[in-house]
Amino acid sequence: MPLDTSAYSLALLRVDGRRWNELRRIHAQIRTQAAADGSSYLEMGHTKVMCVVNGPSEPGPRRGATSGGGGGGGQSKNAEVAVNIVIAGFSSVDRKRRGRGDKHILELQSTISQALAASLHTHLFPHSTINISLHVLSQDGSLLAALINAATLACVDAGIPMTDYVAACTAGSTSTYAANDEGADPLLDMNHQEEQELPGLTVATLGDSDRVAVLVCESRVQVSRLEGMLAVGVDGCKQVREILDRVVREKGIKMIQEGTVERGVGLNDMELD
Amino acid sequence: MPREAEPSANEKAFLLKALQDEQIRLDGREFDQYRPLELTFGDEYGVANVSLGKTKILAKASAEVTVPFADRPLDGIFTIATELSPMAAPHFEVNRPTETEVLLSRLLEKTVRRSGALDTESLCLVAGQKCWSVRVDVHVLSHDGNLTDAACFAVVAALRHFRKPDTSMENGVLTVYTPAEREPVPLGWLHSPFCVTWSFFGEEGETALLDADWMEEQVRVASVTISLNRHGEICQIAKLGGVPVEAVALLQCTSVALTKVKEFSTYLDDKLAEDAKRRDKGGFMAELRAENDRIVG
Repeated sequence: MPLDTSAYSLALLRVDGRRWNELRRIHAQIRTQAAADGSSYLEMGHTKVMCVVNGPSEPGPRRGATSGGGGGGGQSKNAEVAVNIVIAGFSSVDRKRRGRGDKHILELQSTISQALAASLHTHLFPHSTINISLHVLSQDGSLLAALINAATLACVDAGIPMTDYVAACTAGSTSTYAANDEGADPLLDMNHQEEQELPGLTVATLGDSDRVAVLVCESRVQVSRLEGMLAVGVDGCKQVREILDRVVREKGIKMIQEGTVERGVGLNDMELD
Repeated sequence: MPREAEPSANEKAFLLKALQDEQIRLDGREFDQYRPLELTFGDEYGVANVSLGKTKILAKASAEVTVPFADRPLDGIFTIATELSPMAAPHFEVNRPTETEVLLSRLLEKTVRRSGALDTESLCLVAGQKCWSVRVDVHVLSHDGNLTDAACFAVVAALRHFRKPDTSMENGVLTVYTPAEREPVPLGWLHSPFCVTWSFFGEEGETALLDADWMEEQVRVASVTISLNRHGEICQIAKLGGVPVEAVALLQCTSVALTKVKEFSTYLDDKLAEDAKRRDKGGFMAELRAENDRIVG
């Protein structure tokens, strides 16, 4: 399924009709599961993920291969962030069987766990575990970014103190690694088809700073192309952060209006509409 | 499950204070200085012994003829197997991969295999029926930090040094020649990627060190592994979580990494040339060779 890259240079429109700096539609909800401490549902284009957070709580019986970031379980001064990812069989076009020890999934789990452990105030919860389980319902590129965003939202919903949002998105470049053409445009938020054809990277930043928490690049790309891709990616993360922040605020306002929660002291003079 | 021994609070504080206040590392190296890297080849083809300070790694490449995967009839098989045994450090166990091992094998896989360093199509013998299966076994003999860079160097060195038996195809009959009959041939090698790992220290990761040893690795707040080849192509970047680091600092790390990779590349080329000279006792090698000259990147 070759991507018609010639079309891009003519109209400057990508396969799905976006310009180079446009995100796909991001739709997010928080508090979707009543039984969990925190939960979220996030769509980035056709990539759909769900996240459930339980904890901080007493660590359960030790399982064999949890990916423990931010400390070594029950004995440590910091809470352990245990991430579990389930990729549904129906989530992509080809039904790929993934075993429990799939290294790609283990890597994703470890990445999310360590990225969040740096933002969450884990030192407030010694000897405890924060369980994050992520379910991938549909895949269309930018999987790691969607997982990080969903996990951040669910942690906010669970009320775990954190420094700031960890917002993630992907960035790519329009020419392949071999072509050393200077006119290559960076692209924001790649879908599955673009991820297959073009070099790209996943960036996650903390809040609206330029500080990069996660940077993953898995394709061959000229080193000179990195700066442009990183700049576009970091900028995209700021846009994503705004969107996540709006979701949280809207949900908060709705909950106050419905009377689910008390109006906070600082909110007395704030307009809720 | 044995847990890794952490350095004591005093040791940690000492290391961090020396770094931040005095700008000195415990072993007196510069911030962007590697420990002495040494590479020796074994008597057999495809055995590389790498030591980086006290970290020691043995990589062995081997090849056998097998049936290719049904979905890739024109490609050979290439696998990298990593094993962290209790020999390297007491908290590693056999048959139970730790997170370190999973991340190490993923990094090697992305750096060497997915970047297309080895031309797997040249391993095909009879489409859909016979192909070479090349396997590199990475053994960590001694663990003193920065396994990734050392292991990646060892894998690339072993593969570049390796020779597979020569074959010929006549009237549908495949012949594999022993080394006595025909001189073994090198693998189809396209480019040599190397890993460079930066470790970050401090509240906001403002201090960046190259080639952290085991103690520094236990104290660091974040790390990034950048894989490049000497043509300036990034094969992989992995900053898997940890404390956020300024984007500009990461770009600087990448450009320093490129100069380091060029040094590695030259060092490996020199060592390979030296070894070829050592093996070529009577000067017959050029005449025994059956292949044509080609440029190896």
